[in-house]
Amino acid sequence: MELKELFTAANVSLDLKADNKDEILLELIDLLQLDEKAREMLFKMLKKRENLGSTGIGKGFAIPHCRSLVVDKLKVAFGRHAEGIDFNSIDGQPAHFFFLIVAPPIEISNFYLPVLGKVAQFCKSPDIEDKLKNLNSVEEYLELLGTISN
Amino acid sequence: MFLQDLLTLKKEIQDFQVVEQYEEMGFALDKKERIEESIKEVTEKLDPELYHRFLQIAVKYDRPLAPVKNGVCYGCFVSAPTGSKLVTEHQDIIEFCNHCGRILYHIA
Repeated sequence: MELKELFTAANVSLDLKADNKDEILLELIDLLQLDEKAREMLFKMLKKRENLGSTGIGKGFAIPHCRSLVVDKLKVAFGRHAEGIDFNSIDGQPAHFFFLIVAPPIEISNFYLPVLGKVAQFCKSPDIEDKLKNLNSVEEYLELLGTISN
Repeated sequence: MFLQDLLTLKKEIQDFQVVEQYEEMGFALDKKERIEESIKEVTEKLDPELYHRFLQIAVKYDRPLAPVKNGVCYGCFVSAPTGSKLVTEHQDIIEFCNHCGRILYHIA
């Protein structure tokens, strides 16, 4: 599965407004359009995952992720925050780009780890920070995914 | 559901191969031992009767919870599965599959 197949305009925001890590997680969860109970549970679960070690992988990227019963298939979201947020990233730098990845405990297709790997790989593409910083629209983001991911 | 998710996470981070994949991707899992505290916190707050039933079902099945979709339990794939119900001390109504006994949940 290619990354561009997973994203739509509805699960991308290039203008996250959060002031801290918790608010970033909530804004990303909102892009998944879950009901209130699921939203709350997923937030708690992502916090527990972060508690085991930050998903801020450095160079301005964070990829919060977990498996949860609140979704029945793999769901993803992408958000960009202009000023950057302290995400306890491994390099100590603020995170600007956030990929949220959530999957049910069992998936027949087993996409979760491969997708996580592809996203991590995407974040290591040459000049990717600049390309993401310079995006003007969600359409440009979707196009970028198509040109870089495989 | 939250307890089940935590147990899934615990199982995942106990799998050496999965952890290796996470680390190759660049994720930190340097405080893995904290999962036990999280599980303890959640179980202490659970309705005792519900936790007891959860443990009983967990003896039989790896995942004691199953989604129900279109009236079918996705644990045992039997339709119209709702059996007994439990009202917790927080007044939540918990449904169990009449066939396999799993705790049922609905996904929006």
